[in-house]
Amino acid sequence: MGFILPGMAGFALFFICPFLLSLAYAFLDKPVDGSFVGFSNFINLFTNKAYLLGFGNTLKCIVVSVPLNMALSLGAALLIRRLPSRRKLFSLLFLIPLVIPSGSTSFFWKAVFAYDGALNGWLSGLGLPGVNWLDSSLAFPVMVCIFLWKNMGYNMVLFLAGLSNIPQEYYEAAAIDGASPWQSFRCVTLPHLLSTGILTCILSIINSFKVFKEIFLITGSYPHESIYTLQHFMNNMFSSLNYPRLTTATTVLVALITLFTQMLLKLERRASA
Amino acid sequence: MIRHEKRRLSTEYLIPAVLFAAGLVFLFPLIVTFTNSLMTESEILLHYGTKLSVFDLMDLLVVKFRQIHLIPEQISFGQYHEVLLNQPSFLLLLTNSIKITLPVIIGNLLFSMLTAYGFTIWQWRYKEALFMVFIVVMLMPLQAVLVPNYIVADLLGIKASYLAIILPGVFSPFGVFLMRQSMKVIPPAYFEAARIDGASNWQIFLRVVVPQLKSSIAALLMLVFIEYWNLVEQAVIFIDRYDREPLSVYLSRIAEGRIGLVFAASCVYMFLPLWILLLGQEDLEKGIELSGVK
Repeated sequence: MGFILPGMAGFALFFICPFLLSLAYAFLDKPVDGSFVGFSNFINLFTNKAYLLGFGNTLKCIVVSVPLNMALSLGAALLIRRLPSRRKLFSLLFLIPLVIPSGSTSFFWKAVFAYDGALNGWLSGLGLPGVNWLDSSLAFPVMVCIFLWKNMGYNMVLFLAGLSNIPQEYYEAAAIDGASPWQSFRCVTLPHLLSTGILTCILSIINSFKVFKEIFLITGSYPHESIYTLQHFMNNMFSSLNYPRLTTATTVLVALITLFTQMLLKLERRASA
Repeated sequence: MIRHEKRRLSTEYLIPAVLFAAGLVFLFPLIVTFTNSLMTESEILLHYGTKLSVFDLMDLLVVKFRQIHLIPEQISFGQYHEVLLNQPSFLLLLTNSIKITLPVIIGNLLFSMLTAYGFTIWQWRYKEALFMVFIVVMLMPLQAVLVPNYIVADLLGIKASYLAIILPGVFSPFGVFLMRQSMKVIPPAYFEAARIDGASNWQIFLRVVVPQLKSSIAALLMLVFIEYWNLVEQAVIFIDRYDREPLSVYLSRIAEGRIGLVFAASCVYMFLPLWILLLGQEDLEKGIELSGVK
C-alpha cells in the first residue's frame, strides 16, 4: 500500500482530478462562479465551424492513416521475417524515423514540399507544372505520407512480436496440406494475428494524433484547411483561454476515445478467448 | 524443383532488395540532413536560400527552386563549429530540452516502478478496477490530456514554469503499465523465497525485482526520452518566450535566422536518440512489444 501511495497521489492530482474538473467545466458558463448551463456548451461546440473542420480532419486522418499504417507495417514485418539474415539491421531502418525528433527533419520536408521546393524543381525539370503541395488539398496526402514514414516502425515491432508467437508447426501443417503462401497467410497468419491486430489498432489510433507534431512544425498554426486538425483548434482556444470551449472539446474527445478503445478491448478479449 | 529454386531466389535476393529500397526511402531525409550538415554555410545558402532581390522581382516568372544535393562540394565542419561554439542561443535551448527531459525520465521511472510494485504485492479486491483507470488514461491521446494538465498547472500556479510540463510527465500512467507487465513475468516463487528468508518489501523490491527488470527499465527510459526529446504540443501551450523553448520546437524555426546552420543543428539534436537506438534497439523493441500486451 505504501508503495502505491506517492504515485497514486500524483496520478490523481495531475490526471484524475483535472479530468473531473474539466468534465464539470464543460457544463458551466465560466470556470469561476459559473452557473450550470446544461448542454449549451456542447451545442455551441458542434455548431462551431472551426471545431467541425478540425474534428472532421482528425477523423479523416485516423480513417485513412490507421489502416494504411497497419497494412504497410504488417507487410514490412512479413518481409523482414522471411529474411534469411540481418533482420535486426532491416528493422532498425524502420525504427530510425521513430526516434529522431520531428524538428530535425522539418526543414528537409519544407525544402521538398514548399512551392519553390525541390519536388516542384524536379517536376519543372520534366516540363511539368508546379504543385502547391502544402497549400492545397494535396497537403492531406503529404501529411499522411510523412506520418507513415515516422510511425510505421512502431506497428512493425508489434506485428513482428505477434508473428513470432504463431507456432511454426501451423505453417508446416498448412504446407503439408498443400496450401499456397496466400492460403497459409489467410488461414494461419491472419486469424492468429487478430488479437495483436486489434491492440495495434488501438495504439495506432492514439499515435495518429501525433501527426500534429510534424504538421505544426512544417506549416505553423494556420495550415491549409485540409490539414487543420482538432489540435489546431484547441491551440487557438488556448491562446484566447476559452475554458468552456476547451473543456467541452476535451470531454467529447475523452468520451469518444474511451468508448472506442473499450469496444476494441472487449473485441480483443473475445478474440483471444 | 523449379518452384523451390524460385522461392530461394525470392528470399535471398528479392526480399532484401525490396526492403533495402524501402529502407533507403526511409533513411533519405536523414542522409540528406547528415551530408548537408557537412557543407559550408555558403553552399547551403546557394541551394536553399530564397534570394528575392529587386532584380529577381522583375522576372518572378522564373522561380528559383531549392535544390537538394547529397554530396558536399567540399567537406567542412564549419556549421558544427558555428552551432556549438558561436551560437549561445543554440546551447541555451539545448539546455532547456535537457532541463525538461531529464527530470521526467528519472521521476517517471522512479514512481512507475514503485507504483507498479505496489500493484504487484498489494492484495485488494478492487485492485484491478483501479488499474483499469490507469489503462484508460494511458490510452488517451496527448490532445485529450492537455486541457486537464493546463487546469492543474493553473490551480497550482506553476503555469509559467517547466513543472507544468514535467509533473504530468512524471506521473503519466504508461510507465506503471509497462513496469507492471514486466513484473508479472517474475516467478512468484522468487517473492516467496525472499519472504521466507525474512526480507522486507523494500528488500524484495531492491534485491529481487529491480535486478530482474533491467531491460524493461532501459525500455521505459528510452521510450520516455524519445517522447520528451520530441516535445512539441506542451511547449506550444505552456511556453510563450522563445528563450524558454526546448530545441524540439525551435529547430523548425532556426532557418529563419541562419539557414546555413540548420542541418548541423538538426544533426546535433538527433544524435542522442539515434545513438541510444543503436545501443538499445532490442530493449526499445521490447518496450514497444510490452505496450501492446494488455
